Amino acid sequence: MDGFLLLLWVMRLVFLALLYLVLARVMRSLLRDLRAAAREPTTSLGRLIVLESPSGEPATGLSFDLDAITTLGRDVNNAIVVEDPFASSEHAVLTFRGRSWYVEDTSSTNGTYLNGRRIEDVAAMGYGDEMSIGQVRLRLERARTT
Amino acid sequence: MTVAPDIGARRAPLAQSARAGRRRRIQPRARWGEARLLLLVAVTLLVGSISLGATLTGAFVPYDARDLAIYLGALLVAHLAQVLAGRRSDQILLPVMGMLGGISLLLMQRLPQGLVTMNLGATELGLGEVQLLWLVLAIALATVVGVAVRSDRWLRRYKYTWAALGIGLLLLAFVLGTDIGGSRLSVRIGPFSGQPSELLKVILVVFLAGYLSENRSLLIEQDTRVGPLRLPPLPYLAPMVAMWAIALGIVVIQRDLGAALLFFAVFLALVYAATGRVSLVVIGLVLFLAGSALMAALFGHVRARIDVWLDPFGDPLGAGYQIVQSLHAFARGGLLGVGLGNGLPLVGGRIPIPEVHTDFPLAALGEELGLVGMVAILALYLVIVQRGLRIGAAAADDFRAILATGLALVIGVQAFIIAAGNLSVLPLTGVTLPLISYGGSSLLANALVVGLLLALSDKGVEPPPPPGRRGWLSRLPGRGR
Repeated sequence: MDGFLLLLWVMRLVFLALLYLVLARVMRSLLRDLRAAAREPTTSLGRLIVLESPSGEPATGLSFDLDAITTLGRDVNNAIVVEDPFASSEHAVLTFRGRSWYVEDTSSTNGTYLNGRRIEDVAAMGYGDEMSIGQVRLRLERARTT
Repeated sequence: MTVAPDIGARRAPLAQSARAGRRRRIQPRARWGEARLLLLVAVTLLVGSISLGATLTGAFVPYDARDLAIYLGALLVAHLAQVLAGRRSDQILLPVMGMLGGISLLLMQRLPQGLVTMNLGATELGLGEVQLLWLVLAIALATVVGVAVRSDRWLRRYKYTWAALGIGLLLLAFVLGTDIGGSRLSVRIGPFSGQPSELLKVILVVFLAGYLSENRSLLIEQDTRVGPLRLPPLPYLAPMVAMWAIALGIVVIQRDLGAALLFFAVFLALVYAATGRVSLVVIGLVLFLAGSALMAALFGHVRARIDVWLDPFGDPLGAGYQIVQSLHAFARGGLLGVGLGNGLPLVGGRIPIPEVHTDFPLAALGEELGLVGMVAILALYLVIVQRGLRIGAAAADDFRAILATGLALVIGVQAFIIAAGNLSVLPLTGVTLPLISYGGSSLLANALVVGLLLALSDKGVEPPPPPGRRGWLSRLPGRGR
């Protein structure tokens, strides 16, 4: 009987130990996942994806990593050069301030549109939102992680 | 268990119609991380079952080999279905869910089988077998949702429809609900009864994700100053107040303190996650405290809960009976527990803790597995929360980020509320311990959460759809746009 009890207690302790082994294994994969994410350089704050661009400059499907201030327009000194007949040379500025993205229309001739609506001055922009300059449509997305 | 054929049937028409290219891409993809973890979970559960069997029958054999085999088989099928579907989704959620469900199965097998019975044809199923049935269905649901959901358009597009459906469910519970212990929680339709509030929590998160992602940029802007607090423009606080009113309404009409607490906590957490503004959370907490004080002053059943929480030993055989027995159970368990199946048996013909299988499984587990085992179980919930937050952080847009965060928090916060209630850290409110408590609606709702997290975590998921017009907030006057 004593042997039985001893074995039973060993069994119970083994169950607890295995429970922690499962936990340790899970934790290890979590750590590996986090380390892999940390290794990836995520210096950019977000991405701007070109959805449509008839002129091919910028090319459709291109993804731009964004800094805190990104200028858009036809002039070659802009961070993102938009070669479109309806774009002004200094068309719009995309800024990350505090907790949110803002798109500012720098008095362009034909205006900047956010989700199909023309913006006046500045408008807050969320991830997933679409802006258009002339015929070029761009979508703001989170920086790529993992 | 026919998960795999089901999925094939669901997938086929989709692949044939206009997506011939996608069909080629559905290739099996090995998930070794998940397979290894599942194997370990299976070994752990087998040892647990043998330990339970040895305690109850005196022989070193699994307590109920057939039920355990069915359960592990269901996990295996779920794993294989995901491998065959070839989706690159999270590999940790299923093993963690399997571990919690397995612990639930071991617990329900050991509790008196007469607590719940269900007649299936000629055979009568006891508590353990009914729970096994629900667990298998839950695993199937999580897998089907995780594999079949490729687009979240149907979730984000119809958020007001979902909200209406949720309110409909609440009303349904109120009109058709049956009273159990003074609370109108469950609806009985034919042989099935369910608790709408379990499904409601998922719907709430979907609605909030849609609402907050649409109006996030407006809520972030700071306009009004009230003393030291900087608030968003006042009309935009309306949803906050409405949510508060709904939560209080649930308490008043349904007497469901736990659901109200859960909804409000998740709501505040999501508002914070979406806006990053402490002031909104502070306002919410102040509203919450004011509402609680009001409820305690007006309603006897709320005050009774608080009195028991403050002094459970004041009326140990009456109002405080459950809590006192629960605390004793934890104390008997000590550090390492008394062993599976070795908890205190019936006392005077009834189980020591009333509602042990729904509201107090943690007390039973605390007794049998001790502090050490309980900490491991709570850590498993933390893992689910961590996965949800990671999936949210990696999401492509706000809707998915807030949705994943909210889904994970629903499970985490609910586990916290009931664990704290069992330990008398918070006033006891009757919610289930996710994925462990007995109950079909609870298990299925939490499986739905896990399934949605699996679907959201897929790296090859469809990109977010283009946004429509902004939410109704932007149409309010005075925005100067």
